Amino acid sequence: MASAYIIHLLILICIYLILSLSLNLSVGYSGVLNLGHIAFYGLGAYTSALMALAGVPFLLCLLAGGLVAMFSGFLLALPTDKIKGDYLALVTVGFSFIIYSLMLNLDEVTRGPLGLPGIPRPSIFGFGFEDNFSFLILIAVITLAVYFIIQRIADSPFGKLLEAVRDDELAAKILGKDTFKAKAFSLAISAFFAGIAGALYASYITFIDPSSFSLMQIIPIISIVIIGGLASLPGTVLATIILTLIPEALRFVGFPSSILGPMRQIIYALILLLILIYRPRGFLGKVELE
Amino acid sequence: MFYQILANGLIAGAIYALVAAGFSLIYSTTKFVHFAHGGVIALSAYMLYLFYSLLGINFWLSAILAIISGVIIGVGIDYLVYQPLRKRRASPVIILISSVSVLLILESLNLMLFGADVKSINFLDIGSGWSIGPVIITSLQIFIVISSFVLLVTLFLFMKYSKIGKAMRAVADNKNVAEIVGISAERIYTWSFAIGSLIAGFAAVLISLEQNIEPTMGTALIIKGFTASIIGGVESVAGGVLGAFLLGLTENFGIWWLPSSYKDAIAFVILFAFLLLRPEGILGVKKNQK
Repeated sequence: MASAYIIHLLILICIYLILSLSLNLSVGYSGVLNLGHIAFYGLGAYTSALMALAGVPFLLCLLAGGLVAMFSGFLLALPTDKIKGDYLALVTVGFSFIIYSLMLNLDEVTRGPLGLPGIPRPSIFGFGFEDNFSFLILIAVITLAVYFIIQRIADSPFGKLLEAVRDDELAAKILGKDTFKAKAFSLAISAFFAGIAGALYASYITFIDPSSFSLMQIIPIISIVIIGGLASLPGTVLATIILTLIPEALRFVGFPSSILGPMRQIIYALILLLILIYRPRGFLGKVELE
Repeated sequence: MFYQILANGLIAGAIYALVAAGFSLIYSTTKFVHFAHGGVIALSAYMLYLFYSLLGINFWLSAILAIISGVIIGVGIDYLVYQPLRKRRASPVIILISSVSVLLILESLNLMLFGADVKSINFLDIGSGWSIGPVIITSLQIFIVISSFVLLVTLFLFMKYSKIGKAMRAVADNKNVAEIVGISAERIYTWSFAIGSLIAGFAAVLISLEQNIEPTMGTALIIKGFTASIIGGVESVAGGVLGAFLLGLTENFGIWWLPSSYKDAIAFVILFAFLLLRPEGILGVKKNQK
């Protein structure tokens, strides 16, 4: 029983890790304040769930979820050349609203607020990941892969270009760098991994509905990225683990679940506020959010 | 049919205008997006429910108490969250994230204190309708339209002729110059939050007469108020009011062709289009770069 609970927690941590590591790529490295990351997550979840329900093999669903999210990330990157700062953040908020309302209103496809039940668990070449332990191994492998890919990107010349764009876009342009392309790629890659996280979430919970993908769900993830520190992948890992475990402590105090949910949200939001006010660099951040 | 839709659009517009007026008032002086404004409205509505329905206080007294709570909450948020952030010169993006966190905290508080079920204030009888030509309007709706009209005119006169109103416009126009002539910008910010939240409290009372009170109503309302401000031009209260009526009319005429569940989606698409194509709004003046 206890071990089942720990496995569940570890799976949740892995999903949050993929989401927050990929968000750090766009927010931390390239400085695009993307508050619409949940929309990519949701697109990945819905795309893969619909395909899985239609009987498509898991790996294809996973890939498709990532690609659809990636494509929409590329679309969202289009205005980043013209719009900056808080207006860009608002565009990403608007994007998140639109995707959420599509999930809610495209009844014929998404079944609206009823959600999609009965999503099959992953199965790769005949090997099913029916029990949570094997699922944990699958998602842990994927999470590690995501970590190393994002680290490789961050350490590559392309990653340095992203940081240059974040620190001084004009200077990077003067050096002849295509800053728009850099931002578009980072947003698309970041969206791809968010889509993967969504696909994994859908196949783990086996049920999705729009409420998991509303704008407010960005708060825990953006908190993780800011608390861990911008452009710091170890910081993100540390913050993910801490932030996932803190609300779990409440469970043992014995609050009823109707109080537990909102209380968890309040804790995330309060931690984020305190960090923003007192330590804007987070634990291990290299730069401050501009 | 046309006139009925027109009337419905105007009534929706009047409600949005109340939300947008307070929001743009705060934006015009402080230059940041106060998303938590929606949360102030929602919490004030719950205060009305607490005083009127739970404690059984006389309706008009409860309404005044609810409006006062709105002011206290709004000014309190400014004092506890925004003021420390301004002190360390946080960018508008940071303040934007913190305002979303505050909104989340307020919504979770509603959920924790009052539960997830909808509440209603049955003070005025909604049933009795008046027919003016082909249009049927309830007396409550007439009450809402007239009171928001009176409130907006009062606000306009206040901004135009009172000393504080003039100082607010001066700070909105150019903060540095206003400070040189001896206007304390911090004091004006407090005034903006007080007056903006006063309108929020007023909006809360009117809205809770017409609609149900639910924990997430704040987000729904601020999306509309925010969209209205962006359409009209976020820098001016007049723009926000204009945008509100345009939004109310577009939504209601839109569902003439589309299923009514698309009402919100219409608002988001308009919001998105304006953010991308004309971020300064209809009445706004184009600045060099945002």
